[in-house]
Amino acid sequence: MQLQSTSYDLTDSADIQEFFHSRGWTDGFPIVPPTPELVQNCLEWVGMSADQLIGVEPVKERAIVVEKLAINAIMAGCLPVHFPIVVAAWNAMLQPQFLLHGATASTGGCAVLSILNGPIRLEIEAKAEFDVLGNGARATSVIGRALRLGLINILNVSPGAIDRSTLGHPGKISYCFAEDEEGTNWQSLAQSRGIPEQVSAITVVASGAPRQIMNEWTSVPEEILDTYVAEIRANMLNYSIWAGDYVIVIPKQHRDYLEAAGWSKADVAQYIYENARVKRSEWGQVGKQAVVRDKGDVTYNALMEPKNLLVLAAGGPAGGFGAIIPPWLGTKSRAVTMAIGACVNCES
Amino acid sequence: MSLQVLNPTSEEVIEERSLAKRLSTLEGATVGFISNGKEGTDRFFSSLTGVLYEQFSVAEVVLTTKSNYSAPADQTLIDEARDWHAVVTGVGD
Repeated sequence: MQLQSTSYDLTDSADIQEFFHSRGWTDGFPIVPPTPELVQNCLEWVGMSADQLIGVEPVKERAIVVEKLAINAIMAGCLPVHFPIVVAAWNAMLQPQFLLHGATASTGGCAVLSILNGPIRLEIEAKAEFDVLGNGARATSVIGRALRLGLINILNVSPGAIDRSTLGHPGKISYCFAEDEEGTNWQSLAQSRGIPEQVSAITVVASGAPRQIMNEWTSVPEEILDTYVAEIRANMLNYSIWAGDYVIVIPKQHRDYLEAAGWSKADVAQYIYENARVKRSEWGQVGKQAVVRDKGDVTYNALMEPKNLLVLAAGGPAGGFGAIIPPWLGTKSRAVTMAIGACVNCES
Repeated sequence: MSLQVLNPTSEEVIEERSLAKRLSTLEGATVGFISNGKEGTDRFFSSLTGVLYEQFSVAEVVLTTKSNYSAPADQTLIDEARDWHAVVTGVGD
């Protein structure tokens, strides 16, 4: 299958960068020139033809085909080995419950967080230790960027165009990380969401920016988790009170205490489900008295059910620093987990 | 030496659609409002409803709300709108 995209002959590296920047085709950083050869390498790696349809974004009714995903992945710095993950992430984002248009257009400013599980992490060296939420691994940096560039270029999710975020956050440049499955005895996130062991998967979540917490002064599970709960409660009051899919990132220092005490991920989720709650009257303490009205005694849960907490083992080996990653807005968008290499609605 | 590079955008040709025929008058018309569901639409659309009855003599105003303000309107709502002469839709935040 021939590539269908319009091609341009450009003379040198500086020309190429300015050509792409001037057309609004980048995130502001330099891109890898998407040549036909590099794009074909990605297509061959996944065994897909250029025109294979991954899905249709329902609001714009726009077809998402593999060739365009590959072009944007190359621009982001992806290697062919990264490309199956990009395809799986788009598959996940196009599931109706993810509500891609809303999650990418909202003034709320969330980004698409993608979380990697399974053997493919090791193949691509997607480390999940030092700086896991930052620049911890080349693979996760370029995969997250590939998703954002695809949104910008294929769906016009550019600032001020489809993307109407008031503030946005740095995750809009790249927001992908892996779970440290080797550093924990806990079940992986993907397994807890129904993916078989040894199958690689990606989970996409419409997420706000990480909110870091610190507690290095206790080994008691409840006390450690109370700090995470406090941050979730703060998010409920200061940002959005509505229940949704929260992610919490638990570093090794905290995990060691929790696991030694026999706490599983399910136990963590149950504790946070029971304690991450606020009364509407508490809005009065953060300047939102005007919307308390006559519902001050109503209690709001951060989680509809314990399973709505996505518990992740990740982070460097030392330090009592964890994070909560709040949902975009309540249950408007749901986290979606997709096996990598799976074919959704494909013709055999 | 030159390098061949590819266009990363959709390049899908967007089908041109024309606007619905304009009404010559609102008198006697049924006008529907589709709220996105945010609180700000309540007072705004309520105020516009009064203007439509008092200044434009519409026959009926139908107030509806989307089930999810970040998603397209449900098909049942779209079907209901086919019976209206005019629709007002917008964001209230």
